[in-house]
Amino acid sequence: MGAFIAFQDVTKNFGAVTVVDRLDLQIAKGEFLSLLGPSGSGKTTILMMLAGFERPTSGAILLADKPITHLPPHRRQMGVVFQNYALFPHMTVAENVAFPLEMQRVPRAEITRRVERALDMVRLSPLKDRKPSQLSGGQQQRVALTRALVFEPDVILMDEPLGALDKQLREHMQLEIRDLHRRLGLTIVFVTHDQSEALTMSDRIAVFNAGKVEQIDTPQAVYDRPRTRFVAEFIGETNLVEGKVVEAGAQQAVVRVGETALNVSGEVSPGRDVSLSLRPERIRLGKEPAAANALNVTVADCIYHGDHMRLVLKSGTIELVARAERLAGDWAVGTEAVASFDPQDCTVLAS
Amino acid sequence: MSRASVRDRSRAFALVAPLVLFLALFFVWPLWTMVTASVVDDAVTKVLPRTAVAMADWDGSDLPPPAVHGALAEDLRTAQDQQALGEAVRRLNSAVSGFRTLLTRTVTAAREAPDPAALDFAAVDPRWNEPRFWRAIKEAVPPYTDRNLLAALDLRRDAGGSIVAEEPGAAANRIIMLRTFVIAGSVTLACAAIGLPYAMLAAAAGGVMRALLLLAVLVPLWTSLLVRTAAWFILLQQEGLINRTLGSLGIIDAPLPLIFNRLGVIIAMTHVLLPFMVLPIYSVLIAVPRNLMPAAASLGAGPIRAFWRVLLPLAMPGLMSGCLLVFMVAIGYYITPALVGGANDQMISSVIAFYALGTANWGMAGALGLILLAVTLLLYLVYGRLSRSPQLPGA
Amino acid sequence: MLRALQIVFGILVVAFLILPIIAILPLAFTSSVFLTYPIPAYSLRWFEELVSADVWRLSIVNSLIIGGGATVLSTVLGTLAALGLRASSLPFAGLLRTLFLLPMVVPAVVLGVGMQIFLVRLGLASTYPGVIIAHAVLCVPFVVVSVSAALQGIDPAVEKAAMSLGAPPVTVFRRVTLPLAVPGVVSGAVFAFATSLDEVVITLFVAGPNQRTLARQMFSSIRENISPTVAAAALLLIVGTLCLAALAALLRRREKRAVAVP
Ligand SMILES: Nc1ncnc2c1ncn2[C@@H]1O[C@H](COP(=O)(O)OP(=O)(O)OP(=O)(O)O)[C@@H](O)[C@H]1O
Ligand SMILES: [Mg+2]
Repeated sequence: MGAFIAFQDVTKNFGAVTVVDRLDLQIAKGEFLSLLGPSGSGKTTILMMLAGFERPTSGAILLADKPITHLPPHRRQMGVVFQNYALFPHMTVAENVAFPLEMQRVPRAEITRRVERALDMVRLSPLKDRKPSQLSGGQQQRVALTRALVFEPDVILMDEPLGALDKQLREHMQLEIRDLHRRLGLTIVFVTHDQSEALTMSDRIAVFNAGKVEQIDTPQAVYDRPRTRFVAEFIGETNLVEGKVVEAGAQQAVVRVGETALNVSGEVSPGRDVSLSLRPERIRLGKEPAAANALNVTVADCIYHGDHMRLVLKSGTIELVARAERLAGDWAVGTEAVASFDPQDCTVLAS
Repeated sequence: MSRASVRDRSRAFALVAPLVLFLALFFVWPLWTMVTASVVDDAVTKVLPRTAVAMADWDGSDLPPPAVHGALAEDLRTAQDQQALGEAVRRLNSAVSGFRTLLTRTVTAAREAPDPAALDFAAVDPRWNEPRFWRAIKEAVPPYTDRNLLAALDLRRDAGGSIVAEEPGAAANRIIMLRTFVIAGSVTLACAAIGLPYAMLAAAAGGVMRALLLLAVLVPLWTSLLVRTAAWFILLQQEGLINRTLGSLGIIDAPLPLIFNRLGVIIAMTHVLLPFMVLPIYSVLIAVPRNLMPAAASLGAGPIRAFWRVLLPLAMPGLMSGCLLVFMVAIGYYITPALVGGANDQMISSVIAFYALGTANWGMAGALGLILLAVTLLLYLVYGRLSRSPQLPGA
Repeated sequence: MLRALQIVFGILVVAFLILPIIAILPLAFTSSVFLTYPIPAYSLRWFEELVSADVWRLSIVNSLIIGGGATVLSTVLGTLAALGLRASSLPFAGLLRTLFLLPMVVPAVVLGVGMQIFLVRLGLASTYPGVIIAHAVLCVPFVVVSVSAALQGIDPAVEKAAMSLGAPPVTVFRRVTLPLAVPGVVSGAVFAFATSLDEVVITLFVAGPNQRTLARQMFSSIRENISPTVAAAALLLIVGTLCLAALAALLRRREKRAVAVP
C-alpha cells in the first residue's frame, strides 16, 4: 500500500446533503498535503473525519494500513490545530502545552522538561505563565502549534491555522511551519482556502469543489497543468478558450479556435469540443512569431498594475489577457502585435 | 443512529432526568393538586358509595324509592372513618343546614337497628320526609363539581341546574379580577411611560453614563423585593419621609394619604417592576445601529418625526415584551399590595391567600388559582412568541 | 433645551429607583422606636434586637439553613440539567427548557396553594425539608439559566482540542468543561441563595412557625407592628444580596473574559 493515511471511498452526508462525495485520498508519511477549496467545499469535514470528530457515512479511513474509522478522537494520536486555536482559556500557556503529555501519563519531571524545551523552540518561554487571553494572535497561534506538536503525534492536522493573522505574520508563520515540517519530518494535513499559502507550503495540493476532489498534484502541476476548468480558474488567473479538436496525438493535439489552429498539450480525441487554459504570464508579446503558437493580435486595453501591466488582446473572436513586465516596453492601445505561446502552456481541460 | 449518538442521548437524558423528576413531583404535581382541589368534591361519595349508586335511578322529585333508604342505612351503619364521616356531614350541612343533627341521629339509629335495610327513616327523624334533604344528598354525591369554578366567576347553578349569576351582594370575585387587571394595567402604563424614555436615554448615552443608568436599574432588581416594599412602606407612611419633606417645604399642610391606598400600591409596584420594562427595551435598542438617528435626520426627518418613524418602531418589540412581562408579573403580585395597599386594593392573589390560609377553603383557592395560572401562562406564551426566548430578564 | 429635559428626567428616574432603597438604610441606626427622619441619635440597638430577640435570631438562622439547603439542591439539579440540555441529541430540549423556567413564571401564590395542599398530603408541611424543597423549585430556573449561559460560552473546539490531545470524554469534562462552567454554577448558586433569602409567599404557605425565615419575619413585622428592626434586617439583606450580586457579576465578567479568547 505505502500510503500512511488513506481515505477509501469516503462519503459524508449531513441529512440529505452530501458534503464529501466518494473521496479517495492517499497521504504519504512525512508529506505536507494541503486541502484547498472554496468555502463550504467540505475541507473541515474531511479533517474532522480524520481527527475522529465526525463519522463517515460510508467508506473507510486507514492509518498505517489499520482502519481507524471507529476509533475515538482521543486514541488517534493526531495533533489538531483549530482555526481559532481552541486554547484552554483557564490554563496557562505551560499548562496548555503540558496537557497532552499529562494525558499520556508522562512523569511530572519529564513533562516540565519537555514543555520547557518546546516553548523554547518557539520562543514562548517568557510567556509560559500567562493565560491565553493575555497573548497576541500570533503568540496564541504558536502555543496552539506547540501544544499539537509536543506529544509527538503521527500526524498534524491544521484547519486554516493562519486565517486570523495579518498578512505579515501569516507569511512569517508559513515559513515557520514549513521549517518545522522539514526539520521534524512531520506528516501535515493543512486546510486553507488561500491558494498562495497552499502553493508555497505544500508537497501536494488537493483541490476540492463541492465535496469532490478536482485534482491532487504538486503545486507546479496544479498551477501549470490544471486538469479541470474549476482548478484553472480557482488557482491563479487564466484565459479560457473554447475550441474543437481537429487532430490528436500522444499528449498533444491541434485545436481549432475560430479561424486559428492551436497546438496544445493534453490527451483528447478528435472532434470533441474542449476548453483550453492559458496563463497570462505565458503569453509572449512581440513583433514576430516566437513559438509554435502565434496569433496576430490588437492591444484592446492596457491596465497598470505597478510591477506589471495587464494587456487585453484581441484576435478575431478570441480575447486574451496577457501579463507584460514593465521592462518589456510600452504597448499602447491599438498596437498590432504577435502573441506567442508554447503548446505545453496551453492545456486542455476536462469538460 | 450510531452507537455513539445513542450513548450521547442516554447520557443527556440521565442528566436532565433528576430535575425533570424533581419538578414533576414538586412543581407540576402540586399545581395539579391545586387544580383538582377545585373540582373534586368526593367527601360524600366516599362515605355513601351505595347510596350514590342507588340514587342514580331517582329523578330527584318527591321522595326516593325504598332501595335508596336501604343503601343509605347500610352506608351509615358501616361508616367507620369518623373523619371522613365528619367531612361528609360538613359538606352536606353547608348545602342544607340541619344535616348535622339529622345525620348524627340517623347514624346512631342505623347502627342500633336489627335490620338496617328496613330502617324507617321518617320514624328516626321527620325531616327525612322532606325531599330537599334527599335532594341535597343527590347533588353532593357526584365526585366532581364545577361549583368552585363557577363561584370564582361569580356564577352558580340554580335549583334547576342551569348556570345563573350570583346575587350582587355575594359577588366579589369579578370585582377583584377587574381590580387586578386595572392595577396591573396602571402599573404597566406607568412603567412604559417611564421605562421607554429611560431605556432610550440609556441606549443613547455612552460609556460611564450608560453604565450608571443601567446600574440604577439593576440595583433595585438585585435588591430584595421585601426590602423595596419595606422601604416604600416607610417612605409613604403618614409620618414618612415624603410627607415630612413636603410638609417642611410648605407644599402641603396636612399629610397626603399615600399608604394603604391605590396610589401607594401603584407607586411601589412601578418601582419594583420598572426594571422589567427597561431591560427588554434597552436590549432591543442597543442592537439598533448607532448612526440610524443621524441617518434619519440626514434624510430630512426632524427629531420628532425621526422618533416616531424610526426609533419608536424599532423599540416596539422591546416595549411589547416589557409590557407583557410587567403585566404578567403584576397580576400575580401579593406582597406589595398586602403591605402597602388598603382593603380595596387587594388583588386576586390576596383573595387566594385568604381562602387558602384564612379559611382552608381549598376548592375556592384552587379555582381562583387556576384562573390566575391560566391567564399568566397565556401571557407567557405570547411573551415567549414575541421575544423568541423564554427567559426573563434579570436572571 | 431637549438635552436639559433629558438630564432632569434621567436624574428623576434614577432617584426614584435608588433613593427609596438608600433612604431606608440610615433608619436602621436610629435610637428612636419610630421609623422617621430626622434621626434623633444613632445607635445599634436595633441590630442588637435582631440578634438577641428570639424570633429574629431564629429567623436569621432559618434563612441560612433553608437558603443553604435550597441552594445546594437547586444548584446540583440545575447544573446537571443544564449539562444535559447542552447535548444536541436531546429530544424535546426546547420543551424541557421551558419547563425548567416555568417556576419563575407561575404566580407565587398559585404555587403556594398547590405546594401547601401537596406537602400536607406528603406530611412535609411545616418541616425543613418541605420548605427547602419548595424554595429549591423557585431557585432552579436561575441555576439553569446561569449554567446554560456559561456552557454556551464554551467554544466546542476547545473540547475537541482536548480530545485530540488524548483526553477521553470523562477527562474532557473534568479538566475542561467543568472548570469553564464553574463561574456559571457559582453565579447560579448565588442567585439561588438570594432568591431563597427573599422568598416570602411560598414560605407563608408551607412553613410552620419553626421555619419562619427572615423575609417572612420581616413581612409579618411590617404588617403587624413595624419597628426599626425591620430597617436593620433590610440593611442586612441589602448588604447581603449586593455582596452576592457583586460576586456573581465579578464571576460572570471573569468567565466572559476567559471564554472570549479571540
Ligand atoms: N454539522 C453539520 N451539519 C450540517 N451541515 C454541515 C455540518 N457541518 C458542515 N456542514 C455543511 O457541510 C458543508 C461543508 O462544510 P465544511 O465546514 O467542511 O466546509 P469548509 O470547506 O471547511 O468551508 P470553510 O472554508 O468555510 O471553512 C457546508 O455546506 C456546511 O454547511
Ligand atoms: Mg472550514
